[in-house]
Amino acid sequence: MGSISQRTTRVRTAWLLLIVLGLLGVLSGRLFYLQVIKSGKLLKDAEDQRLREVPIEAKRGWILDRNKRPLALSYDADCIYAQPPQVKDPKATAEKLAPLLGMDREKLEKLLAKKTAFVWIKRKATEEEAQKVRQVALPGVEVVQKAQRFYPHGDLAAHVLGISGIDNRGLEGLELQYDSCLRGVPGSEQAEFDSRGLPIPMGEKRYIPPQDGMTLVLTIDEYIQHIAERELERAVRENGALRGCLVLMDPMNGEILAMANYPKFDPNHYNQFPVGHRKNWAVTDTYEPGSTFKVVTAAASLEEGIVDKDTRFHDPGFILVDDRRLRCWRPGGHGDQTFVEATENSCNPVFAKLALRLGKDTLYKYIRAFGFGETTGVDFPGEAKGILQASERIKNVELATTGFGQGISVTPIQLVTAFSAIANGGYLLEPHLVKEIRDNQGRVVKAFGRKVKRQVISEQTAKELTLILRSVVENGSGNRADVQGYRVAGKTGTAQKASQGNYGQGRIASFIGFAPADKPRIAGLIVLDEPTGSSRYGGVIAAPAFGEVVRDVLRYLGEPPKFELESGETQVPEALQEAPNLLHLSREEASKRLKQAGLVPRLIGEGPTVVDQQPRGGALLAPGTTVLLYFDQNAKYNNYRDSLLVVPDVIGLTPEQVRKVLTGLELELVPEGEGRAVGQEPKAGSKVAPGTRVRVRFARAAGEDG
Amino acid sequence: MWDRRFLRNIDYYMLFSVLGLVMIGLIMVYSATRANTALNGGDSFLFLKKQLLSVVIGLIGMAVIFFLDYRLPDAAYHVLYGFNFFMLLLVLFVGSEANGAKSWINLGFMSFQPAEFAKLLVILTLSKYLAEKESFSSILDLIPPFIHILPSLVLILLQPDFGTALVFIFFFFAMVYMAGAKGRHLLLVIFTGITVIALIFVCNHYFGFPSVPLKDYQIKRLTSFINPDADPRGAGYNVRQAIIAVGSGRFFGKGLFQNTQGRLGFLPEFHTDFIFAVFCEEWGFLGAFVLLMLYLLFIWRSLKVVQQAKERHGSLIATGIMTMFLFHIFENIGMNIGIMPITGIPLPFISSGGSSMMTSLFAVGYLENIWARRQKILF
Repeated sequence: MGSISQRTTRVRTAWLLLIVLGLLGVLSGRLFYLQVIKSGKLLKDAEDQRLREVPIEAKRGWILDRNKRPLALSYDADCIYAQPPQVKDPKATAEKLAPLLGMDREKLEKLLAKKTAFVWIKRKATEEEAQKVRQVALPGVEVVQKAQRFYPHGDLAAHVLGISGIDNRGLEGLELQYDSCLRGVPGSEQAEFDSRGLPIPMGEKRYIPPQDGMTLVLTIDEYIQHIAERELERAVRENGALRGCLVLMDPMNGEILAMANYPKFDPNHYNQFPVGHRKNWAVTDTYEPGSTFKVVTAAASLEEGIVDKDTRFHDPGFILVDDRRLRCWRPGGHGDQTFVEATENSCNPVFAKLALRLGKDTLYKYIRAFGFGETTGVDFPGEAKGILQASERIKNVELATTGFGQGISVTPIQLVTAFSAIANGGYLLEPHLVKEIRDNQGRVVKAFGRKVKRQVISEQTAKELTLILRSVVENGSGNRADVQGYRVAGKTGTAQKASQGNYGQGRIASFIGFAPADKPRIAGLIVLDEPTGSSRYGGVIAAPAFGEVVRDVLRYLGEPPKFELESGETQVPEALQEAPNLLHLSREEASKRLKQAGLVPRLIGEGPTVVDQQPRGGALLAPGTTVLLYFDQNAKYNNYRDSLLVVPDVIGLTPEQVRKVLTGLELELVPEGEGRAVGQEPKAGSKVAPGTRVRVRFARAAGEDG
Repeated sequence: MWDRRFLRNIDYYMLFSVLGLVMIGLIMVYSATRANTALNGGDSFLFLKKQLLSVVIGLIGMAVIFFLDYRLPDAAYHVLYGFNFFMLLLVLFVGSEANGAKSWINLGFMSFQPAEFAKLLVILTLSKYLAEKESFSSILDLIPPFIHILPSLVLILLQPDFGTALVFIFFFFAMVYMAGAKGRHLLLVIFTGITVIALIFVCNHYFGFPSVPLKDYQIKRLTSFINPDADPRGAGYNVRQAIIAVGSGRFFGKGLFQNTQGRLGFLPEFHTDFIFAVFCEEWGFLGAFVLLMLYLLFIWRSLKVVQQAKERHGSLIATGIMTMFLFHIFENIGMNIGIMPITGIPLPFISSGGSSMMTSLFAVGYLENIWARRQKILF
């Protein structure tokens, strides 16, 4: 036996046991730390390195007009991407791929050799390109469908819709305002990859489906918008204006029916246009309203009872305020006149006088009550407030000029909203562009209705003012806005454009109005910025455009035209009727016969008798249709050339709607097939003479009933 | 020599813990390798079958060793010592290289690691030597036993197999301690050794002198566990991946066959050195704790053998075997959880690998042998 005792052995084994327990204790402690305390982070680390998430974009919600016609839609476009770890030979792959996609070979090779798991090669590839890429089946290069935004009508309502970026994010306009609704919730697909970056075919997969975005139903009517844009474009171009805008609103509920801006842009290719073209300045910009603002002064004066329609004024052509001489726009002034006549004449000294009589506090109370100096609350990003002068800076001169619309700045939408309050009996409404938000099952999630902010003037005052404004159009400066069959009420405006604190040569011509005067269905404002044509007065260049809009829109809305007969009664014709043959009749006789038939004569050219008419005798016409009466052959030629029509885009409409649209534009429909319109000839946007036949092909989508 | 009462004297606790660990090992080897076709060549049972064969051979060897008296004639130890030296020398010439070390002798139908068997053989011969040594009164008395293991140690370091060399050092100290060496002598030697080695490395790092017989990457591999995030894709990669695997198992684990770190190739050597990480990923802290308890049971029963061996020689064999296992367990699990440097040391009874499994089971045979003969058989 050795030198070591039994007892020593026991002690030493005890020491060994202690070491054993110590070591195992250390291991347990560390395991507890890793697997319990730090396990969450480590689990995430593990998932991060083996699971790759491929996001699945939600389809961006559609934007429809009030009749559910698509203005912005999303579709799946073919996108080509590569997974560099799986690309065997970047150089050879790039060589094969470059000609198929029309891309630079070296750039492509760089992309394919990137040290990432995923890289886009081409988004929005054409169907043909996608097909070719699928056919050559290069390893690591794939085609995937990705939702893309598409604006089917191009520039129609583009300023309102705004734009959305390539990553399904709203950038401007309603796309931005309602981005959270439209965007939806992206889903994802998680797939397992091994340490070399290769996908595991039978590996763990998690699929979270995306939730598509919600649908916006706008208050905008595609067709009314089209009319507004057409007339605005015409007015801007004919008068050489810098830009223009036109807002149409339903004055009874604040729904904006059309909001047009010119110059235009195509949101499908927005980067090909100057940034300035994208501005919806009807909401975002202010301007000096000029005479259109007299309506506010008039409303305040009537409501306060300091004036009635028969109150008499004398205008010597100027008014002295303190030591300043404020001139009337008309040299020599308007002389003796009633309040109605002063409004018809848009007489500055009279409104200056009224403003002074009202006093600073009262006038500004009304100005603020009508919503100036604050945002209207329209659901559009970047709304401007307008500028009211600070109270302490308003002296008599400032007060007087404010009375006729100088020294104040407003947005077009503010003015339309204020004017709607006169049309609807005194209620200031909150204008809105979106009528409903629907979820992807089509259920209405949120509906926006009439929202009254406050009553500004009494119904009585509103009624009186309406009569005065009707008179402005009937007898006064706004007469060019008058339309046969529809009673328009309104006010013209021509403001000098301020530049660097002084009034320069630039003008802003505008017309604000509503119709029909007795039961308003539309209120609207057209503003032309810096017209350079022969006339720059709102009454001359803005009023007629407004009249055109009113006529086409009210007809489209199914508002029956009313014709005042000689007896003064109005007649409401019911059905289509035959156009009388008016050839060789005298001017008076032809006009009389047309009016009796409920049709509107338009006399063209000089000459004693009718040499031609359009439409011809025997054509079936809706009441209120304009019949062109030519008194010489040259006039006919000239007029034809001048009144070329722009063919509207009817794709997606029902035959019934197409007929309405085309006949409204004096175009003839030649239908083919059934269902919804899928093609048309001539194309939308082409210019044709009135009465041109438009061939429209209709087809039924698979699964669509009725 | 044979006595039927030996059967009654088997330590069933130890046997239970060993068989339990072997079962777990078989399951884990299958789980870790079943889905990796690159490794198993399409036969998901390949590694399980190999492991099973080693277990069968190991168990047979264990039984044989159990029934033969551990007290072999003196001449046998000379043979064993010589055989061990020869095999370790041979592997340096004919061995095949893997992971930068010449550790394998390929016999065609199978290959084995002489260093694995060397541990057990050296324990046997060293214990015989120590059993006959009487006195450790001087610190110099530690030198002759060290010379006894030195040839094997040097040959193993030449492979190089750093981990196994450390095992030798570890059981050497434990055995001389149990043989009667003074604690303070051992502590002195250990601390001096550590200080000298540390000084050499520090000087080498800062002055490039003296030279260290290790390549840069080897030093990095040994030290990377201290801060694996410093080089997560290089030297720290293995530790990091192992820690992620262990931690991602959380408390209850992901369940059988649910390991991903090994299957997807993030974790290297996932069926051998890092099988513990795979186990932790599948079985969580709960499983790891049960595993540690099984090891504790086994080590505790081994200590019983050390304590109750009939005579000095048996006690020393048991000490060597116990400390060999202890070091393996601590080092392997430790490197899996980032507290020990990475060395190619398998986890006993669990890691895939025939030589290790056989050596372990043979060693258990010895422990049971010593235990069964712990008392004089009474009539």
